[in-house]
Amino acid sequence: MPKPVPEPSRRPLIAVGLGGIAAAGLIGAAAWKLWRRAEPADPGKAAERGLRAGAAILSLAVLLDSGIEHYRGEFKNPAMFVAPTLALATLGMTAVEDEAAPYVFSAALAVGAAGVGFHSYNIGKRAGGFDMLNLFYAAPLGAPAALSLAGLFGLAAEHPGIAAPARIAPVAALALLGTAAEAGLLHFRGAFQNPFMFAPVTLPPLAAAVTAASSVSPEAAQVARPLLLGTALLGIAGPIFHSYGIHRNMGGWHNWSQMILQGPPLPAPPAFLGIALAALGLLPALERRG
Amino acid sequence: MFDAIDQPRAQDGRAPDVFRPGAWVQMRCYDDSEQVDFAIVGTGAGGGTLAAKLAEAGFSVVAFDAGPFWRPLEDFASDEAAQGDLYWTDERISGGADPIQLGSNNSGRGVGGSTVHYTMIALRWRPDWFKSRSKLGYGRDWPLSFEELEPYYEEAEESLKISGPVRYPWGKRRKRYPYREHPVNASGLVLARGCERIGIDWSPLPLATLSAPRGMAHPCVYRGFCKYGCSTNAKQSVLVTFVPRAIAAGAEIRDLAMVGRIEMGKDGRATGVSYNRRGKWRQQKARHVVVAGYAIETPRLLLNSACPEFPDGLANDNGLVGTHLMTHSGPGVWGVLDEEIRSYKAPPCMAGTEHWNYSDEGKDFHGGYAFMSQGPLPTDWAQTLAARGLWGAALRQEMTRYNHTAGLVLVGETEPQAHNRVELADEKDQYGLRIPRVTFSYSENDRRLIEHGRKSMHQVLAAGGAHQLWDTHDTSHLMGGCRMGDDPKDSVVDADGRTWAIPNLWVCDGSLFPNSGGVNPSLTIQALACRIGDRIAEMAKRGELDR
Repeated sequence: MPKPVPEPSRRPLIAVGLGGIAAAGLIGAAAWKLWRRAEPADPGKAAERGLRAGAAILSLAVLLDSGIEHYRGEFKNPAMFVAPTLALATLGMTAVEDEAAPYVFSAALAVGAAGVGFHSYNIGKRAGGFDMLNLFYAAPLGAPAALSLAGLFGLAAEHPGIAAPARIAPVAALALLGTAAEAGLLHFRGAFQNPFMFAPVTLPPLAAAVTAASSVSPEAAQVARPLLLGTALLGIAGPIFHSYGIHRNMGGWHNWSQMILQGPPLPAPPAFLGIALAALGLLPALERRG
Repeated sequence: MFDAIDQPRAQDGRAPDVFRPGAWVQMRCYDDSEQVDFAIVGTGAGGGTLAAKLAEAGFSVVAFDAGPFWRPLEDFASDEAAQGDLYWTDERISGGADPIQLGSNNSGRGVGGSTVHYTMIALRWRPDWFKSRSKLGYGRDWPLSFEELEPYYEEAEESLKISGPVRYPWGKRRKRYPYREHPVNASGLVLARGCERIGIDWSPLPLATLSAPRGMAHPCVYRGFCKYGCSTNAKQSVLVTFVPRAIAAGAEIRDLAMVGRIEMGKDGRATGVSYNRRGKWRQQKARHVVVAGYAIETPRLLLNSACPEFPDGLANDNGLVGTHLMTHSGPGVWGVLDEEIRSYKAPPCMAGTEHWNYSDEGKDFHGGYAFMSQGPLPTDWAQTLAARGLWGAALRQEMTRYNHTAGLVLVGETEPQAHNRVELADEKDQYGLRIPRVTFSYSENDRRLIEHGRKSMHQVLAAGGAHQLWDTHDTSHLMGGCRMGDDPKDSVVDADGRTWAIPNLWVCDGSLFPNSGGVNPSLTIQALACRIGDRIAEMAKRGELDR
């Protein structure tokens, strides 16, 4: 006879609930801190602020996204707790000055990379391997990279000497491309049924190209600003569009506990905001190089 | 749901709004004495689709259905027994060496026809099947080529927003499906694993249920009640696609209206139909009559409409009406897996293989078959087990394996044979109409195909990790009975569905099929309906319609 399967546990619900409350508190603290700071005149300070804000938003997005998606996966593998936990820690380190910060950021960098490995393994072992079905519906290949990016931005904010803006700009550009690719894949899965679904696959790649060029050309840095502002705006508009997407699913928000999982992911688009803020912070330094 | 059965809903200038609970849409209504361009008998894959096409082309259309006009959001309960009302369960006589069990999966009664409870598999015909006699050496050629029907396959797929795989392994290179494939459930993955282990292709199936929002319809929530009515409108049945289109374009849908007879004039042309609504016989005048009642009711109506000019039934000068009835053989193989499967989650058939439709190597039979994963609901499952002879404690014991069982089901081609047919019995139904007698026997070739299919399914299921395999047998779709052809002596209708004998009498449903193919027929029926709609509009433009 087949082995009996235990009832699904409530463990995930507790984890997500606690994570949510902690996240809300930390967002408040981070926002307060950022708001208190005046617009820095020093380009180095601007870069640090941008990278820190970018790391904060990326880690918040990863916290919520991996929290919700791993909850959907019933935290079947205990390793699924690692991503949201570390994202929470990374978020914390962006808000407070702490000696542990470099270690946490480095851990985020490593765990994000390991996550890509885990997700690849998950896809590869399924029937069909790396076919569209599994790229659509199995563990998302690119998502864990956002945690790496949060760690990297955090480290870069702390070590302006090593991570000069001209070196970070291409990384941010690559990150924008990767995020646009993921949005493209998932919007393709949704058959681009709403024309707005084309937005994240058009503007961010353009912003990415110009941001990459900014590392060698100060003129490009000036062009990059409006494009990056637009990309940041997409990161804010995304969750609003996705809330509408949830509404268009069976039962909509009346059936939120199911449709937040089945509908478009609310915390995914802010990744654009995080990367764009980091890149915007780099611009004053890049513009001045000329 | 009961008021829909007792009282017509589509009348007095309005019809149910299938997308909003309790709401109505305006519907143009015609008087019986008003001669409409087209009276269509049946509103399923053939009739409902054609009604939209003709109304949109500017014709006045009244489409009749013997069954109710359901409101999917309100009427379709999550209750298998209650959903029996979706079937055509009027009395029929079924005989032959292999009598077909009539009345559930091969019938539909209600606006939208059997698409209301079909499993939504939307596959195209293998191109060679249109010329199976000349290219493959069996069956019959169609009076159409795949290339002629291809744009209409595309039109039907677009109209239903078919959610299909990005790459489909078989058939001619095709345009991308309008929507993407659905995630495959665990029983589909058992088939996938099995196919990969024995080295044949598999694919997520293209399905007529939404994987993304579409207007007022939500994406599929994988409720799993697809073999019954879909209460979420994700299923793109004719009831929620072509029927609303038809009504918006000015067609009238007449529910609970059983057409009993096609009225003929002295000039040998149809003049309209007699139908029974609310217990009264009435007559609707029409310039053209289209019969779309599927493989049993279409021949039955033609035969029941015999008159002095056509004593053997309409369009039956050559005696072919009702003959060459085909079904799909549907043996099933089941097995137990160690892991949890819960095959009842999501649409029942999510993955399949058409390997033996497209590869003719090593076959000891003509024809092809596909097989799919399946996912019976509890009552269906219990009945399947009881049919194995299990009862009492043994049945209960076996039922506990529900969550760990996976099954495969065949869609096997059968040969067109003249003696497999629909005739009229002497018994009469509640309307006083002679009931159909259906005779069916498999050919030797059909039996070899079934045996081959059974072995393949065993192989795949075992390779997929299942053990303690066991078999069932069933049949599914019906086809043929008014076959289309190039030669008036050898067919009932031409390639446009127009009967050879009566120029203003048409057929538009699965009874047109000259052979049965090894895939579910609905998409081909809808492609034919789209084509017939366009052809009629073209003929009207050229003044050839009222010849």
